[in-house]
Amino acid sequence: MRLRRTRRPDAPAPEPALLYRWDLDKTYLRSEFDTLRSLLRTAFEKAEDKVDVPGVAELIRSLKSAAERRGRPVSVQFISASPPQIGSAIRKKLALDRVPYDGIVFKDQLSNLKRGKLRNLREHVGFKLAELLRGRLDAPGDARELLFGDDWESDSLIYSLYADVIAGRLGVDRLTPILQRIRVDPRLVETIVALAGRAVVGDFVVRIFINLERRSPPGVFRLFGPRVVPTFNYFQTAAVLAADGYLDPEDAARVGRALLDAAGYTPRRLVNSLDDLVRRAHLTPAAAKALAPPLRAAGVLPATAVHASRWQSALGALRRLRRRARATPEPGTSVAPLDYDAILDRLAARDTATAV
Amino acid sequence: MPTIAVDAMGGDNAPDAVVRGVAQVSLTTDIECLVVGDERRIQAVLEGVSYNPEHISILHCRDAIGMAEDPREAVKRRDTSLLVGIRAVAEGRAEAMVSAGNTGACVLGCAKHFRLLRGIRRAALASVYPRQQEKPGQDRFALLLDVGATIRCEADELVQFAIMGSAYARRVSKVASPAVGLLNMGSEETKGGEILVEAHRRLRLLPSVNFVGNVEGNDLVRGKADVIVCEGLLGNVALKLIEGVSEVLYSVTSSAAERRLAWRLGLRLLSRGIERLRVLTDYTQYGGSPILGFEHLFIKSHGRSTAHAIGNAVKVAAKTVRDRVPGEIADVTAAAR
Repeated sequence: MRLRRTRRPDAPAPEPALLYRWDLDKTYLRSEFDTLRSLLRTAFEKAEDKVDVPGVAELIRSLKSAAERRGRPVSVQFISASPPQIGSAIRKKLALDRVPYDGIVFKDQLSNLKRGKLRNLREHVGFKLAELLRGRLDAPGDARELLFGDDWESDSLIYSLYADVIAGRLGVDRLTPILQRIRVDPRLVETIVALAGRAVVGDFVVRIFINLERRSPPGVFRLFGPRVVPTFNYFQTAAVLAADGYLDPEDAARVGRALLDAAGYTPRRLVNSLDDLVRRAHLTPAAAKALAPPLRAAGVLPATAVHASRWQSALGALRRLRRRARATPEPGTSVAPLDYDAILDRLAARDTATAV
Repeated sequence: MPTIAVDAMGGDNAPDAVVRGVAQVSLTTDIECLVVGDERRIQAVLEGVSYNPEHISILHCRDAIGMAEDPREAVKRRDTSLLVGIRAVAEGRAEAMVSAGNTGACVLGCAKHFRLLRGIRRAALASVYPRQQEKPGQDRFALLLDVGATIRCEADELVQFAIMGSAYARRVSKVASPAVGLLNMGSEETKGGEILVEAHRRLRLLPSVNFVGNVEGNDLVRGKADVIVCEGLLGNVALKLIEGVSEVLYSVTSSAAERRLAWRLGLRLLSRGIERLRVLTDYTQYGGSPILGFEHLFIKSHGRSTAHAIGNAVKVAAKTVRDRVPGEIADVTAAAR
């Protein structure tokens, strides 16, 4: 769907449109494709049998409605490396979950098979990067983007490359050797370079959220800078989004409630999740403190905070002051260029290119 | 699920091994771990490993007790990870505690902040150690107590140790009626001096304890008793002797392999058996030893504990909470009075 806005000349400048782009498998769906058998089962699974990651449907609904409440044009898009043949089951699943979305792109695996490009079946960097750039060209030039992926494939790498390309930090002269090193299909490299040349330049990718579905060590993602936020559950994602102003605290509470009601979570587990975000400096202590009362009122966090003794409170305040100095920068602020050679070296060394 | 306080800063490999152990537990169980120690250092370890933050909370404190510190002086400092953790358990923020730190400080810290169970005069540090299985279904570990918490004991205290050890083995090892032996210098009931003779007489009359009589040093590693009771000084010497002999055996075996080719080949042939023996006697399997007699459980892990050992200690601590071990000890003690 194309986002359009009209504005009276005397009206105050509206906030830019929002573009939420989601990966599907392991980010939205708990798809299993570790073995051939589970891969086949996933391919032929009915919509009713597909399982979504706890809280994800509530989060997408909340993101959409929060943007609409604020009067911001919003679009939710899915990009999946699954073949279009499973599209109807996926669309039915999204309808069952009452997930509002504006577009979904699948990877044409059949054409890769026909062309004998077997490597392309598993190589998703080129496909996803091209689709992200295509989607960008369809969106308003100043639309802000939030990208959602997981730690199974190379989402953090793909999304970071995309963010840096459209920000103008990564020119085609640097992008091409990176894509070649990842062994992206040369035809796709050409397409990506052409699309990149047409994209409006700007620091439009605000955040990249990585769902740590396989529990990768969060430190692995430090190489991608503070823009990438690895989260262990969607309550953590919702908390960061609420702190950034994309959700209201009540929306985050709804995501937390979904985890409590349908996924066996407890308020204690959620408060631990919040503390973890603060320790990893993805949420400032002040933001966590501001979020806590509405979450507590909604019954999502334990009713009573654990009271520390006076000296512990004083020490805590000192630590918070120190932490504030090294906290995550505000979204949208300029991001230092990433060292993609170091990232790729690390991926190669660990032989876990699929982990990040 | 129970909440277990874990002293992140205690032990030779802290905080790395401790935090890694907690991280492993967080991925495989629902046990809630309250990790006590320097938050920055704990988080630095967590960043590099797989973990589930939903089961981990951190209680920050800056100080830690060193392994070689004088325990009496060390427990005077309030902001050490050990003391902060023990107080967290005493205040109800956690239900049991695990530490691989300074043993003396662990015992003194418990004595300082935990209340003794009603009717219990002295706490006991129990040690789990591998022994020969003589009967089918017998646990491959025995419990020896006391191994250092109470240096000299009266007969009354030895009887209480027997009750506590029996209750612990019944709940944790699931032995319906654990065989309890009194460590002595002979099997005859008149051996060992006034205190041991009196303890023997009273244990024989105690219906809640399956007393099998005196056991001698050579019975320690056999399957005669599931629980062996002795005073702290003797228990500590016996335990260290077992550990020392085991280490010397491995050392002798290794050096033998280096001396002659025939011996090396022989050992190679036996390698699978030796590996099984190593696994059997691996202290990391049982995680830690309980300090018994308080209202709260404390599991003391080996100072050299690896992440695996810490993980097992946390699981043992959770099991003791779930199985209501202090409650069982209190019930049996009350019935014996």
